[in-house]
Amino acid sequence: MTWYTVFFFIAFLVCMAGLSFHLLRLLQSGNNMDYAPQSGSITAGIRYSFTGAMSPTKKESAFLHLPTYSAGIIYHLGTFLSVLLIFILWADVIFPAALSWGLASFLLVSALCGIGILLKRMIKKGLRELSNPDDYISNVLVTVFQLLMGLTLVSGKVFTPWLFIAAALLLFYIPLGKLKHLLYFFAARWQLGLFYGRRGVWPPIKNQKP
Amino acid sequence: MEEAINKFVLAPAEVVDPGSLTKRRKLTQGEINKALKVFENGGGAKLLTHLNSCVHCGLCAESCIYYKATGDDRFTPARKVDLVASVYRRYHTFAGKYLPSLVSARDLNEDTADEMVDLLFGACTMCGRCTMHCSIGVDIAYLVKTGRTMLSVMGMVPATLQSTVKAAVDTGNNMGIPTPEFVDTLKWMEDEMMDEPGTKDARIPVDAKGRNILYTLNPREPKFFPLSISAMAKIFYAAGESWTLSSSMYDITNYAYFSGNQDEASLIAKRMWDEMDKLDASTLVLAECGHGSRALRWESPNYLHKTFPFKVKTSVEIIADYLHDGKIKLDREKFKEAVTLHDPCNLVRSGGICMEQRYILNEFIKDFREMTPCGIDNYCCGGGGGQLAMSEYNERRMKTARVKAEQIRKTGAKIVVSPCHNCVDQLTQINFSFKLNVQIKTLAELVADALIL
Repeated sequence: MTWYTVFFFIAFLVCMAGLSFHLLRLLQSGNNMDYAPQSGSITAGIRYSFTGAMSPTKKESAFLHLPTYSAGIIYHLGTFLSVLLIFILWADVIFPAALSWGLASFLLVSALCGIGILLKRMIKKGLRELSNPDDYISNVLVTVFQLLMGLTLVSGKVFTPWLFIAAALLLFYIPLGKLKHLLYFFAARWQLGLFYGRRGVWPPIKNQKP
Repeated sequence: MEEAINKFVLAPAEVVDPGSLTKRRKLTQGEINKALKVFENGGGAKLLTHLNSCVHCGLCAESCIYYKATGDDRFTPARKVDLVASVYRRYHTFAGKYLPSLVSARDLNEDTADEMVDLLFGACTMCGRCTMHCSIGVDIAYLVKTGRTMLSVMGMVPATLQSTVKAAVDTGNNMGIPTPEFVDTLKWMEDEMMDEPGTKDARIPVDAKGRNILYTLNPREPKFFPLSISAMAKIFYAAGESWTLSSSMYDITNYAYFSGNQDEASLIAKRMWDEMDKLDASTLVLAECGHGSRALRWESPNYLHKTFPFKVKTSVEIIADYLHDGKIKLDREKFKEAVTLHDPCNLVRSGGICMEQRYILNEFIKDFREMTPCGIDNYCCGGGGGQLAMSEYNERRMKTARVKAEQIRKTGAKIVVSPCHNCVDQLTQINFSFKLNVQIKTLAELVADALIL
């Protein structure tokens, strides 16, 4: 193990501990007893919350902002891919050149999506006023991580230390700022599905016209 | 009567600076501590989740009628979330405690509280449309309500809204109608009904024990629109229903739900539960009032920490049942004009009553036209969240109304029906201000007019 993989490993443990803290706190808080009689299906509501309700045809925040929505989806895919790849690289697996270039190309696109989202945040007045340093730091950490992953895939070991350092910094930061939405996103969708499912609002009845 | 109605419903929006109505005062540490306790008291995982989930993407903006109508970035729902969440972060997160500027964590002080009053009370109807369309799934309306509760414990509910709550707490109804006046109105309506052909034997029972239904009212009915009481009475008569009204506790509304005061909301709800017990009725039927239905059907069991010992249904469900069971019949030739439907947010988006009103209208309206969007995606009329009670925000409220006015105009309908008296009031103002030249009716009024007796 090199010093930077040790550093990465420590960061990984800290990140896991931080996220575990958030998760345990959520589980300990529990859901309040709802005494009102249920009129819909909680299971169907939660299922819909994670599926149909996320569809760009249903979610206004998606279909009114298709470029941003698409960039966000690609950006997140790039992040998940980079996280997967760093563990593969950690295990010293070497990819065939064609695959490395393919993955790096996708990561370049996803990082560009991240940069686009960052620029939008900086340029649009309303978004800029809503933002705080955490929003910018989070974006920069993730985008740099993706770029370094792409570079590492196609340039041998030159960027490897930098990649692991960037990944470690990202991991240290995740439990502190908005990146913890990687946990809270699922909790929020679950809570929303529970709420609307219980009341029979989700899933919506398809034919709303008489 | 006509003059009173006009004064109540058609008054032009007053231009009042909200700041001028709220005398700024120093918050005591005790008040701040009580407000901060709201984060710890009973929100559970739900509150924790939603306080930590917003990623500031800002994509919720267009879901909000305030933003849509004005283009003012301050009204973006995420800004309202952040106002509450930033206070939470300051006192409950590592980053907020030690690096507050990193995560824009804010102290709860006079500046923050004033901004909360303006945005959470003055620029949100708690319609929940932003919640449904949030890219993450943050329950924005729930966080706004949490913020309102914090303001409530600090005594910062706008005086106009608080006076409505106070009237309900002090007198049993939010308009402070004395019982003799209310009973006189019912008697008058009963006499009118008995003079009409087809309803000679119809009655408006008061305080009758052991009936199947205890029916509720929005106090605006006895005060300004008593014909809507007789509309529902005719429907009950046609269906052969066993029902009664209470002379003392008939008010379906619960504005404490909007003010965020849990104690007052619980007190108001409990009175209705007690009245059901006193009159020994089987089913509590909730009048056409979106927030009142929500407060009773979905919130009151949680205020009181117990399950209903009786059945609860909205009047929309009851009418749909009557039609389905063939207990009432409607004349399909009665309305030739195009009719559109406004969906009350609390009844539909937060209450799951979406298809029943469409089923009813389909039974007798030949030319029914949906708004775009409709159902659970429909826009708020702008009068929810206690906005109609808060006259200091009239100008802002009527700006948001442009969204609904355009929706109505695009349908080309001549009648707008909404199963919510609060919405009907706002729609009536919209009709007047935007010169839509439509009729605004409650569902029961429309059904009663088409009854085959």
